[in-house]
Amino acid sequence: MNKKVHLRAPVAVYYDGKWVDTELTVGDEALLIGKQVVPLREIEDLEEIEVDKIRCIRIKKGEKFTLQLPQKIHQQIFRYIAFNLKADKFAVFFLASATVGGVVSSAAHWKKGYFSVTDEGFWFLAPKMQKRIPIDNLGSVKKDVRNVGKKQRSVLVLSHVEKSNVVTSLLLCPESTLDMLKNYLQRILEKHKPKIDLSEDETQILTLVYSGLDFASIENIMGISTEKLNAYYTRLVDSGLAKVVKIRKEIELTPRGVNMVDKIAKN
Amino acid sequence: MAKVLIVDDTAFMRKLLKNILFGAGFDIAGEAENGKQAVEMYQELKPDIVTMDVVMPEMTGIEALKGIKALDKDAKIVMCTAIGQEKIVKTAIKLGARGYIIKPFQAPKVIEEIKKVLGQ
Repeated sequence: MNKKVHLRAPVAVYYDGKWVDTELTVGDEALLIGKQVVPLREIEDLEEIEVDKIRCIRIKKGEKFTLQLPQKIHQQIFRYIAFNLKADKFAVFFLASATVGGVVSSAAHWKKGYFSVTDEGFWFLAPKMQKRIPIDNLGSVKKDVRNVGKKQRSVLVLSHVEKSNVVTSLLLCPESTLDMLKNYLQRILEKHKPKIDLSEDETQILTLVYSGLDFASIENIMGISTEKLNAYYTRLVDSGLAKVVKIRKEIELTPRGVNMVDKIAKN
Repeated sequence: MAKVLIVDDTAFMRKLLKNILFGAGFDIAGEAENGKQAVEMYQELKPDIVTMDVVMPEMTGIEALKGIKALDKDAKIVMCTAIGQEKIVKTAIKLGARGYIIKPFQAPKVIEEIKKVLGQ
């Protein structure tokens, strides 16, 4: 189905717990992975992942394929798929990751490119940047007026999560596209909204966890008992707003332990 | 260690910042609940740096910033704002604020910004 072949390269496909060597053909309309044809316009999602500490590409077309490419062409192929997969693409100017964790990022600059919307996420696409934001990571979307290029312009402000940081990114495009994107993203947000009403205490605990405070500090700031904080944590975990990363052990000394401390103190 | 004056109208945010900054080895010079108190406490405590909430009763963060700058033109003030208050931030920077942090914030980022403003 390819009229033109752009590139042929060796590829390893992760299958059933092991890597299988084959060939990847990148054409204008499809990828050929071994004998499997994957039309570009049918690729639903694309991710960069690590398998055994090796940078890989994972594409989804019904099932997921994990590909390990020669590292020198990895980025080139990732970019090509990102620009050509099944998505609605809008020509925009964007400022990706304008603020990270509450601090303005000096590394962020306005880029001309595309904002691409797939069923699984959103992409900021430019020749030197292909950034994917999974739908679940989108936090809010709103229109605002910002100073861009010494002019006041309407922009879309997206807040999303990247590596556990709240990040804001800006989109600039014609007003009608901006409104359409805002409505579309807000509908998605509504669909993915957690089904939990948080109490004031829970909202504060969530903020404290985000800020990086540990259990003891949160207990201290909130002035609540360990049991109560544990109960709040359980509710936050059960609702999908948090996950358990560590289970702490609380211990007290046995008489043998107390004797040991007594001996240590006397030495 | 540098002395910080924390200005925020919510006790929760003051506690959070206090915990983060104290944990990073800063001295907490004091806490103010509004802009008016902030100006008075600045004069009295002479902190090395101020974290200043923008939206507060009695006297806003911007008015307090002006007040403190009138007392000490070299005062180091970092504005704490919510997403969407960027216009206010720009005004604050024009008025002499040295930096800003946007809520919700993470401890390492806050510490980094404060140290940057202090030139550490």
